[in-house]
Amino acid sequence: MITHDEASALLASFALDAVEDEEQRQVEAHLATCRRCRSELDAMREVAAAMGNSVETLPEGLWSSIAGCLPERGDAEPPPMPRLMAGDRATYGAPGTRGGRRPIRGPVGALALAATAVAAVLGVGLVRADDRVAHYASLARVGAAGTVAAALSTAGHQMVNLETADHVQLARFVVVPDGRGYLVASSLPALGSHHTYQLWGTIGHQPISLGLLGRSPRQATFTVAGTAPLSKLSVTVEPAGGSVAPSGQAVASGAV
Amino acid sequence: MQKIGDVSDAQLVTSIARYSEVALAEAYRRHGGAVYGLARRVLNNSAEAEDVTQEVFLRLWDQPDRFDASRGSLRSYLLAQTHGRAVDAVRSLHSRRLREVKDAQRTATAAYDMDHEIWDLALADQVAHALGELPGEERRDIEMAYFGGHSYQEVARLLHQPEGTVKGRIRNGMQRMRTLLVAAGVLEVGA
Repeated sequence: MITHDEASALLASFALDAVEDEEQRQVEAHLATCRRCRSELDAMREVAAAMGNSVETLPEGLWSSIAGCLPERGDAEPPPMPRLMAGDRATYGAPGTRGGRRPIRGPVGALALAATAVAAVLGVGLVRADDRVAHYASLARVGAAGTVAAALSTAGHQMVNLETADHVQLARFVVVPDGRGYLVASSLPALGSHHTYQLWGTIGHQPISLGLLGRSPRQATFTVAGTAPLSKLSVTVEPAGGSVAPSGQAVASGAV
Repeated sequence: MQKIGDVSDAQLVTSIARYSEVALAEAYRRHGGAVYGLARRVLNNSAEAEDVTQEVFLRLWDQPDRFDASRGSLRSYLLAQTHGRAVDAVRSLHSRRLREVKDAQRTATAAYDMDHEIWDLALADQVAHALGELPGEERRDIEMAYFGGHSYQEVARLLHQPEGTVKGRIRNGMQRMRTLLVAAGVLEVGA
């Protein structure tokens, strides 16, 4: 077992995959219990990714090779490979672009087909869970990866709609009986780089932080432990590092 | 209805978890070139780089839940996956000879050639500038570890330096890089 300081000193090398097996195992064991080191590692990996971000022209046929390895699902044709158009490369790391939106470009036919297919499976927007339980249950059976889908098909799950004071719905979570919760959909507007959304759970009249949602929430999970019931979820805007208590009014909240 | 080009990376991964091949194709379109580019740079071999690229995207397909959007961008996640696999290959006996050749080439060129390899010249400039700001020993150690696929212990042995010294230089250099890239707007504060 290594100490926090020893693990911390190794994180930069760890982010570069430059530690040997035994130390790697020790750092991984420490990371499993240390949020601070996980956060530091994430930051180091962003640096490594910036250094390694050297885009090259993809070899012809590589996508076909990948698509050919995907499991058969009845629709035998692999999806069309959208062409990379000049100026349409994914932005990396620039402020305000993480998870951001980019205009559609490229061959109209292929992308229109792709857009239709993606819209059909994404469930973008706030969905009616009751209508979809059977659909999600079948998806969950297909594989464990769809955690949100699995949660939505769990018996006894609760949907929590987070609304503004004017009853505008901004986010929806699903909470399953063992205390885990997942963000199903969000239309919370993106924040500037100095702020983050933070999720709070009201437990026994006290708001407890359930985690940072980031500037533009897309995926989030939380776990509520203990016997006291979770009565409300709310989201506030906080400084980038988060707060120990809500620093202002909730932008959206919903009863559990 | 949301168009595929408007879908965020995190939404793409959610869709991949729901077995959307179109979403995987879009992720490949956005990030495949970076994955392949890093793999080729570390491996110095196009065929092996293709194998790594394929492995990375098939893993994204099989285990999309391993990507945690709250911990960084999809690009960073995929590049970390890529680098790990490429380094595994480099460290295998099969690739050792290849690495020696590559190291010789790197020594001959005596510098990184990012301007030719990174698609976004603005980003390349910022990264190259940040690397150039590092003390030479820090930069060399980081490059030997990251692009050479060496552990810091190997770097220390190759340079006849104490392991702790190399470990410390890599740490200081990476922290300095981060500060510089945040100041340049390439990385986000708190990312």
